[in-house]
Amino acid sequence: MWARNMFETCLEIRHHFSDYMDDFCAPEARKAIRYHLSFCEVCRDRLDQWQMVREELRALPRRQVPQELALRMRVRVSQRVHDNLLSRLWVHCENALKPFLIPATGGVLSALICFCLFMGSYVAPASDDPDVTVQWATPASVQLLAPMDFSTDDNTVVVLTQINAEGRAKGYQVLSGQGSPELMQRLDRMVYFSTFRPATMFGRPTDGQVVLSLRRITVRG
Amino acid sequence: MGIARSVSITLEQTLPAVNEEAAFVGELRAGSEDAFAYLLTVYQNPVFNLVWHIVENSADASDVLQDVFVKVFKGIKGFNGDSSLRTWIYRIAVHEASNHRRGWIRRHWREPFSVDDQESPSAAAASEAASSERSPYQVLEQAEREVVVKRALASLAPPYRTVLVLREIEGLPYEEIAQVLGLAEGTVKSRLLRGRELLRRKLAGYVGKEHV
Repeated sequence: MWARNMFETCLEIRHHFSDYMDDFCAPEARKAIRYHLSFCEVCRDRLDQWQMVREELRALPRRQVPQELALRMRVRVSQRVHDNLLSRLWVHCENALKPFLIPATGGVLSALICFCLFMGSYVAPASDDPDVTVQWATPASVQLLAPMDFSTDDNTVVVLTQINAEGRAKGYQVLSGQGSPELMQRLDRMVYFSTFRPATMFGRPTDGQVVLSLRRITVRG
Repeated sequence: MGIARSVSITLEQTLPAVNEEAAFVGELRAGSEDAFAYLLTVYQNPVFNLVWHIVENSADASDVLQDVFVKVFKGIKGFNGDSSLRTWIYRIAVHEASNHRRGWIRRHWREPFSVDDQESPSAAAASEAASSERSPYQVLEQAEREVVVKRALASLAPPYRTVLVLREIEGLPYEEIAQVLGLAEGTVKSRLLRGRELLRRKLAGYVGKEHV
């Protein structure tokens, strides 16, 4: 009996139509509404209208995403997935290098083939002058030692001799051994009357040095 | 990506079950492209439908839809599972659409406002009549009714319209609507009541003609 009388007016009961339609009413309120609707035609019509509005809304066609938009979104998602520094860098490098890959490979291969052909047919040019070596540098050497009597009393004398580009001694320096006045006189004569083969640089004669090691030499003219 | 793939095969275009949702979200967090493709397949149409009813324009709805899924993609790592994935996505969609609509109104407030879509209802009806079993008259009448209902719905204030769309068209329960909109359930109920009553008044002379 209480449930039947819980709503005083139609206006009051209509405030509960929304919950009633959605089944969110308390059981007592639902009973009261049903009771009211059983005799109130105006409220019954009003509730019918509410339900028709709901049906109309539910009957509205549902919007579908256009295919082109769906595809665009998938592309965007894919771009986002790969959106980190390394991936971007890799893609940029790949895009930048790809156009050059075939020309660059062709260029390297051509260069390799040309190099092999050139090196295969290359022969180092021989010098026409047999006295002039084509080596980068050759040391000076003794050509003819002056015929002098020379005795060092069993001690070795080592002499560093400076040779000019014409193969003549410019001077000398005793590196080891006794430098007596007699020995120095004989060394003077021997060094300055000897002939040397000058050092060369790229085939051209140049200044150089010769180390002579002298020991008990007796040369008779 | 086994989970997303297997789900997409067995439950094509359906929402993942609650127990599968955690695994699905895990796949999304891991940045699986297949999982996102599946997410798009499942949610793009409902979200587009919801957004379209809020912004009332197909082109704007397309823009908003893209923004929504970019935000979903960016924010999935911050999704903590307090609500369902659907609620979370709908919340983003409603916020994006509302923001877009506010911006749109600011930009175009001097221009005449039309709630009509770009599509011609008569053209759509004609193409449907050709393929439908109903008579052309019925198809055209239905198309006209849809236009009137859409117009009436679009003329409602956004708070009422959004609640009505979520409840009547998307079929969300009160609790989920409250979560999507960040409102109390009582507020959702009162807006729904007010929105239904406003819509009934707007359609009073039209809806249910055939029934009355």
